[in-house]
Amino acid sequence: MTTEVKKRAINRLQTMYALRALVDEMYQSSLEAKKEGKPVAWCMLDGGYGGPFLNAMDVESVYPENYGTICAASGAAAPFLERSAAEGFPDHLCGYARNCLGYTATMTELGEIPPDAPTGGMPRPMLLLSSGMVCDARFKWFQALGRYLNAPVWTLEVPRPGMRESLMEGAYERNVDFIVKELRVFVTFLEGLLGEKMDWDKFEQDVNTTIEMDRVWFEVNELRKARPGPMHSRDFWSSMSASALRTTNPKRVTDLYRKMYDEVKDRVDNKIAGINREEKYRLTFVGLPPWHSLGFFDQLAERGWNFVIEQAYHPPGPIDLTWVKDPIEKLVRYRYQGLDHQIDDIFEPEEAAKVREEIIECGYSHQVAVRDAMDYQCDGAILHTLLTCRGTTAPLLLAQNRLMEVWKVPSLVIEGDIVDQTLFDPVDALRKAEAFEETMDHYKKVRKEAGLGW
Amino acid sequence: MVEVTSKGLTRVREIYQDRPHRAKELRAEDKKVIGYLCLYPVVEMMTAVDLVPYRMFGDMREPITRADTYMPTVVCPFLRSLLDLGLKGKYEFLDGVVMAHTCDVGAQVPGLWNTFVETHYSHFIDTPHTIHEAAQKQEKGELQDFQKSLESLTGKELTRERLREAIEAHNQQRALVRELYDLRKPDPPLISGTETLQVVVAVMSLPVEEGSKLLKEVIDEVKERRNGPPKKSARLLVWGPVIHETPLIEMIESLDANMVMDDTCVGSRAYFADIKLTDDPLDGLAYHYLVELKCPRTFREGVYGETSKEHMTDLKSRFNYLGDYAKEWRVNGVILQALRYCDSHGYEVPVVKDYLANIGLPSIYLEHDYTEGALAPLRTRVQGFLEVIS
Repeated sequence: MTTEVKKRAINRLQTMYALRALVDEMYQSSLEAKKEGKPVAWCMLDGGYGGPFLNAMDVESVYPENYGTICAASGAAAPFLERSAAEGFPDHLCGYARNCLGYTATMTELGEIPPDAPTGGMPRPMLLLSSGMVCDARFKWFQALGRYLNAPVWTLEVPRPGMRESLMEGAYERNVDFIVKELRVFVTFLEGLLGEKMDWDKFEQDVNTTIEMDRVWFEVNELRKARPGPMHSRDFWSSMSASALRTTNPKRVTDLYRKMYDEVKDRVDNKIAGINREEKYRLTFVGLPPWHSLGFFDQLAERGWNFVIEQAYHPPGPIDLTWVKDPIEKLVRYRYQGLDHQIDDIFEPEEAAKVREEIIECGYSHQVAVRDAMDYQCDGAILHTLLTCRGTTAPLLLAQNRLMEVWKVPSLVIEGDIVDQTLFDPVDALRKAEAFEETMDHYKKVRKEAGLGW
Repeated sequence: MVEVTSKGLTRVREIYQDRPHRAKELRAEDKKVIGYLCLYPVVEMMTAVDLVPYRMFGDMREPITRADTYMPTVVCPFLRSLLDLGLKGKYEFLDGVVMAHTCDVGAQVPGLWNTFVETHYSHFIDTPHTIHEAAQKQEKGELQDFQKSLESLTGKELTRERLREAIEAHNQQRALVRELYDLRKPDPPLISGTETLQVVVAVMSLPVEEGSKLLKEVIDEVKERRNGPPKKSARLLVWGPVIHETPLIEMIESLDANMVMDDTCVGSRAYFADIKLTDDPLDGLAYHYLVELKCPRTFREGVYGETSKEHMTDLKSRFNYLGDYAKEWRVNGVILQALRYCDSHGYEVPVVKDYLANIGLPSIYLEHDYTEGALAPLRTRVQGFLEVIS
């Protein structure tokens, strides 16, 4: 008599593993580079603006935000969080930041990487590359590291205008011009820091290769619109680092993403889901995931919850840039596509005109913000409010409102934190999730009656 | 037109207790009153097209009941309170609102306000984070868009002439506030921290000329009066984000301390640098609002484009003005205060402490949640601090 082994709830993509391994490679490369006396930077996730410059000038990098997720997932964050508190940093500050502040304070005190630091730790940097994107913590935190590091801080600026203001005449071009100018000054700074000139051929090649890499990654995620959803969010989060953070070898990653595309396409063609259970509910995840407790999603998958799309870390969609000659400008126009373009991309011309009118009149349009819910036919959204991340948490209830207003998609708010495991109660979250199923069932009917199609 | 009979500090207290009252009177006189959040909306531009800029605040005493539907509780309580008041119609008397990219949550409030609070006009200024030359140009571009928006609202042309006049009027007001602050230099100060805060809040509720007239009355009154604050052992500077209500300052001044100086945004940050009159006034405004306003939301390097960094050099370049204030106002202790969930100031606390320790100034950090109840346990800590510094 044989016992049938029950398959794990989430049906992991085989091609994910090679992409996930890139994260460990990143830390290894940085440690080796440091040993060899090569430049190493600590960087913030910066929307892809910084990577090509660092690649062209052979600067290795690690991402303390990502390191926070690694420390959280491996249970190593607690001593760093405690150290951060002891240094006087308030406990409501970003969990990634506190993890890093505590890590760096410890490293400075010891004169070496803390023993037992996950993935071998982060080597002492010679540059802190921060970003104005997403939240202010991401430059304030690097600025605060000045207590422990003498590395200069450079902040890559990215404008964040309001909806109405971004449609004002000339606003988009001004913003592009601003980012381009800042990046040119960044090059001058890098040349001064490293004592070397920028290799512009290498830079241009890297820009082009990275854009192509992101195009393939974008297409992988477009496939996830299929029913059943072929790729679970856990696979997205495991595979995204090269795109969301940086890769020193975009050509290699492009090949890996192509392989992933083939595997996902095969699933789509054969109606294979990203979970090994019947897909009862299609979910979107809004906010940053609980990196320390990703097993929670397996428990939800057991119940037929398939997370088919998430609202953070995605690359921009493809755009025609053949008319752009300057590689910095090309990089910027790809990364910063603007609301006008987004509206034209999503809507047919008549609807686009109405959306613009609404934005100019009211200052907002719900339609623009929550399109994914329809494109990926979501039955519900999980909103992860984080004690220590106001950048992603502050807009969550507005998202909840918009999802219901536009698409009759209900949301479940689950409280937690990105790093501090003690703030997330998986038992309570699961209890809420079970009750939420009734809500999702109800709104399936509401959407059908409203003619919303799914 | 309403005739005002009270003057000086009495008038200040009347306005402070009921800020919307004067704004509503002005509306009845067909003036347009535009609310603005924080320091980064350019009041001079509003004045130049005959709008009355009105600084918006929350209310420590009003329980937050409506905002929780739209804003998670783990964000700045001041901004939650502000949104709550908007949702309850407490800002119905405004003809519009202007907000700017102050902090992360501050940048979210405009979207929420547009969506859930009925407002006839709104504009958002996306203030850059750095002070590089390109960022100053970007700020100017943002102000050019703001100009178009104001002209569209009012039907008036915002000429360079009008803007220069407005800048001069606001600079005059800044000078008057600095003159008022000078009256806190003697020991004991001639005006308390509590009274000073009330004056600044009142002035931020009035058209610029009316505010300046009130300031002159207050200055004259304070110079002459015999019943000023008593002498205390401690002369303190308070640092941090918005304090617009007096309970925290009152609590501190009820102990053996005079609050003689501040580095807050309802205080010196708004008034201690004049706007330079440039050929194109927008250049001077862009420089002032981006570079000269000393709020932690702006990223400043010690030296622009520096390729190496030394911690204390960096801190001195960022905070030497605090040392100057401490010298001029003969401060012997600093209260660092911040609202819970204020990230911009939260990251700054340890490094400001480092700077203050370097210049031999003791400091204490108080975190509170924008309620009066939260202040009671802080009293004991302040008492302990005062014992240490005495």
